[in-house]
Amino acid sequence: MAWLVVRLAISVSLLYTASAVFEDQVGKFDWRQQFIGKVRFALFDTHSQASKKLLVATDKNVFASLNSRTGDLFWRHVDKTGPEGHIDVLLMYGQDAVVVVGNGRLLRSWETTVGGLKWETVLDTGSFQAATLVGVQDYVKHVAVLKKSAISLHDLSSGSQIWVENLPDSDTVQYQTIYSGGNGLVFVLGVVPNSHIVIVEYKIEDGEIMNKKSVEAAWMSSLENSCTVISSGILLCADQITQSLYTLPLQSAEQKEMRQIHLQTLDLEVASGFQPVLTSTRPNPAQPPLSEFFLQLSPDHHILLQLKDGLIAPLRDFNPSYLAAFATSGERTVAAVMSPKNDTACSINLFSADTGRRHLDTTIIYHMDPNGGKPNRLYVHAFLKKDDSVGYRVMVQTEDHTLTFLQQPGRVVWMREEALADVVTMEMVDLPFTGTQAELEGEFGKKADGLLPMVLKRLSSQFILLQAWLAHLWKLFYDARKPRSSVKNEVTIDILSRDEFNLQKMMVMVTASGKLFGIDSKSGTILWKQYLENIQPNSVFKLIVQRTTAHFPHPPQCTLLIKDKDTGLGSLYVFNPIFGKKSQISVPALPRPVLQTLLLPVIDQDYAKVLLLIDDQYKVTAFPSTKNVLQQLQDTASSIFFYLVDSSQGKLSGFRLRKDLSTELIWEVVIPAEVQKIVAVKGKRANEHVHSQGRVMGDRSVLYKYLNPNLLAVITESTDTHQERSFVGIFLIDGVTGRIVHEAVQRKARGPVHFVHSENWVVYVYWNSKFRRNEFSVLELFEGAELYNSTVFSSLDRPHPPQVLQQSYIFPAPISTLEATLTEKGITSRHLLVGLPSGNILSLPKMFLDPRRPEVVSEQSREENLIPYAPEMPIREEWFINYNQTVSRVRGIYTAPSGLESTCLVVAYGLDIYQTRVFPSKQFDVLKDDYDYVLISSVLFGLFFATMISKRLAEVKLLNRAWR
Amino acid sequence: MTSPGAQGGGALATRGGATAKRMKWALELSLGNSSRNRGDRQSKDGDVMYPVGYSDKPVPDTSVQEADRNLVEKRCWDVALGPLKQIPMNLFIMYMSGNTISIFPIMMVCMMAWRPIQALMSMSATFKLLESSSQQWLQGLVYLVGNLLGSALAIYKCQSMGLLPTHSSDWLAFIEPPQRLEIMGGGMVM
Repeated sequence: MAWLVVRLAISVSLLYTASAVFEDQVGKFDWRQQFIGKVRFALFDTHSQASKKLLVATDKNVFASLNSRTGDLFWRHVDKTGPEGHIDVLLMYGQDAVVVVGNGRLLRSWETTVGGLKWETVLDTGSFQAATLVGVQDYVKHVAVLKKSAISLHDLSSGSQIWVENLPDSDTVQYQTIYSGGNGLVFVLGVVPNSHIVIVEYKIEDGEIMNKKSVEAAWMSSLENSCTVISSGILLCADQITQSLYTLPLQSAEQKEMRQIHLQTLDLEVASGFQPVLTSTRPNPAQPPLSEFFLQLSPDHHILLQLKDGLIAPLRDFNPSYLAAFATSGERTVAAVMSPKNDTACSINLFSADTGRRHLDTTIIYHMDPNGGKPNRLYVHAFLKKDDSVGYRVMVQTEDHTLTFLQQPGRVVWMREEALADVVTMEMVDLPFTGTQAELEGEFGKKADGLLPMVLKRLSSQFILLQAWLAHLWKLFYDARKPRSSVKNEVTIDILSRDEFNLQKMMVMVTASGKLFGIDSKSGTILWKQYLENIQPNSVFKLIVQRTTAHFPHPPQCTLLIKDKDTGLGSLYVFNPIFGKKSQISVPALPRPVLQTLLLPVIDQDYAKVLLLIDDQYKVTAFPSTKNVLQQLQDTASSIFFYLVDSSQGKLSGFRLRKDLSTELIWEVVIPAEVQKIVAVKGKRANEHVHSQGRVMGDRSVLYKYLNPNLLAVITESTDTHQERSFVGIFLIDGVTGRIVHEAVQRKARGPVHFVHSENWVVYVYWNSKFRRNEFSVLELFEGAELYNSTVFSSLDRPHPPQVLQQSYIFPAPISTLEATLTEKGITSRHLLVGLPSGNILSLPKMFLDPRRPEVVSEQSREENLIPYAPEMPIREEWFINYNQTVSRVRGIYTAPSGLESTCLVVAYGLDIYQTRVFPSKQFDVLKDDYDYVLISSVLFGLFFATMISKRLAEVKLLNRAWR
Repeated sequence: MTSPGAQGGGALATRGGATAKRMKWALELSLGNSSRNRGDRQSKDGDVMYPVGYSDKPVPDTSVQEADRNLVEKRCWDVALGPLKQIPMNLFIMYMSGNTISIFPIMMVCMMAWRPIQALMSMSATFKLLESSSQQWLQGLVYLVGNLLGSALAIYKCQSMGLLPTHSSDWLAFIEPPQRLEIMGGGMVM
């Protein structure tokens, strides 16, 4: 019976929290964008003329097929992260795409039309060097994989290994390249640096070594960068020091030395310090490459050369030229060369590969994005037109990982911003008011100057409002006359304005490549982008909103702190988050490495919050640092504290600001780094509001929350990773006084730990190594039945330690990230957003993570609506806020309050970006989407008229009765 | 006091109704005759003709008698004790309606609370009613006490239903978040 009651209570509680998206709500307020990452290999499917496929493999270990007409994904396979899923090489033949994954761990063949796996073979261990398709008599039947010490040949149709051979002298010779000319032989090329080249010939049928020779090459250090095979098996190498090209026929037995051709004889010269790059082309993998090749002499100088009868002759010199690439359609091979046209545009032209003649009317103008990077890769898709001339389209990849697909005469067909596959941090900024709203707002901001001018001002702004309203009506009327399809919801920066409930915001995203994006949260349209050049790959970013849009006419202001990990030096980039423009404000120079930042609630006369930057000498730089700000800082210095956590030394230290902007150390907590390592520290979010100061008990008394705004949650992991001895520790430390408020240790547990610190609770997830499961643990802090001081909170005056309650639960899935919902006033109940590795985002009611959940149900706990304790945490599919729109490799979830108390905006980012709204307590402040306005109003009007009519009828009847 | 006239009118109307069977209307000028034929005969006899509205019955004496004084006193006490008499009934209703918060108990409580308040508001009217009594002040006091008891009962009911904001939890929503005195920030060394 008791069990029944418990189950009933659970099901009732679930009834309240169960919420999912209805089918007709799909895509109404949510969107997803899928990305692939920085492209490393891209191949156009030239199998048939009408093919629209473009196969790409990226540095995010993604193998995908793009529609070359629209840029959309046909299919995408996301492999493991890290070196395990690294795509080493991508080869394509016909309908098959062969991929070597994980430093030669796996060989896979994919069917390119639907993206199905045809076969997969596990390769022998050994680090991967090269792979090539091996053809016999115009047909490609095999794929050869070269490892550090072995070569193996596989059947292309089944993946079965035909033979594997150890390479001779593999401990001294570095085998790097593999070549097959389609004549039944496979050549393996190795080098002993600065000594000689080794060429080993294998027979395709059984892997027998046919021939092995070594050729002197004292100048050579590596084959990969400087050599290529051209024509019918002639090895061609370029050397910068001797300024020469070297040739060697692979098959000839007699030649013991490479033939040297001085570049001077060709009137060429390699730019100093530049490693010349050779590019050859091979239209059909079953046949030898062409004898034409590109030689890149400097970053903007290419030359097309031809090898004929052992002689190298220049066909055409391209100076200046940024990029050059070959492409083949049918029997004709062309070369596309990108040359600078003017400061903002490049022109791409098509040349015949065998003659170097320019094809007429083939110019594509590529306009470089002033806010983007320089182009660094060119992929050409050539096709035969109806009149048998060669047409082409190009895909340009730039430094900021943007893919631009162009067709003649320079029309951008599509564009992909692949930098967004690696979002590091983001913020959401309110949109500005429309001009008219701002006008009205501005009126109240102005200083009062007499009664009459004020009245006039009011009248004029009212008139402007009226005008805007009429214009709006006219627009509505005008749009209504147009057919629906032509009214496009194009979002541009000019029409961008805050909506009624502030649901539409500007997402400012910072990506690892150093490109910043401004994205409209409603539609996902990229409204601005800005590429910051010279960002080191391992830089750390911190994005700070210094001024919101609330201070018209001052523009909003965001500051990005970029810290180079190698030098430790930081720089500030100040910009307007709505328009993406760099601000003209002078930025303080940061001569010393920045350790941390602190955004103060102190504002300067222009309403910008003051940012303090702490350098490695614990000196503080203020930005902005006007006189006003410095004065304010002097006044409040004694109440400004900051803490620094040094993970390597296991040291937490607290500092207090002095009046002269230096600091004094006031506390230090050392967590021995030999035993445990600090992995993460989190305070509370600055924009978090807590509406209720306590919790109502069953007997209607109050249990007050311990809401310490200075509380820090510090998570440590043991250095000992043995499953019996490993542990996870959590410390709750007051950031002002350094007092340890609470500490807890989870034995036989290890990370990675994900946690959320909010209000008076901390929720953390760890791996229980004893029971081999993920567990959630929740800590809640209460002051007790009375508040110590209900008016002010000072960490320096807290005599009583808080009561700490803790409970743990089993979670039946691993998790990727954890975040809590956030609303404007904090009235709405909280949910935890759990990013799962499957790509789903689970909205878990905080109600389930409540350490007051009773084991035995009592009258009081029922009064409190507490769910009886159950160790297992449920996962329900209807709690997935992104239904089937999974977010691959979700790395972070960002939550922001909207103007509606019930609504929280959520952005999940990883490889994909997903934006939605969540309603943790349902939409209690909005009418439902399917609210029947027509029915309600018709009923109201109906009742009104019915009353009128019946009143009249009653009057008539009364009169008649009176006459009777 | 007005009953004789009303009786006469009533007789007139019934007779009119009876005659309506034959003719549209008729005025019976004679009183006390139940039979129409006899009336006809009497009028034919022509012995008495009374004016309209004349009744030959004697009109009762309506002046206040000394015996009625006690009656008034009793009546006034009835009025004064009314609220007190309702209390047992209210207690019973209270017991029956229970402490759950739903529409009917709420309606009951509202009625219970509203009636004494209404009565207290119209105290002056009640005093006017009691004016004729000699123990006017005592009765007024009893009436007041009765009503106060009634409202106390209603408040008690509200209390037991948990409708009164007597607990600290009822004022929780009005507690402002405390102002923080220190500004703190920082984090891991970047």
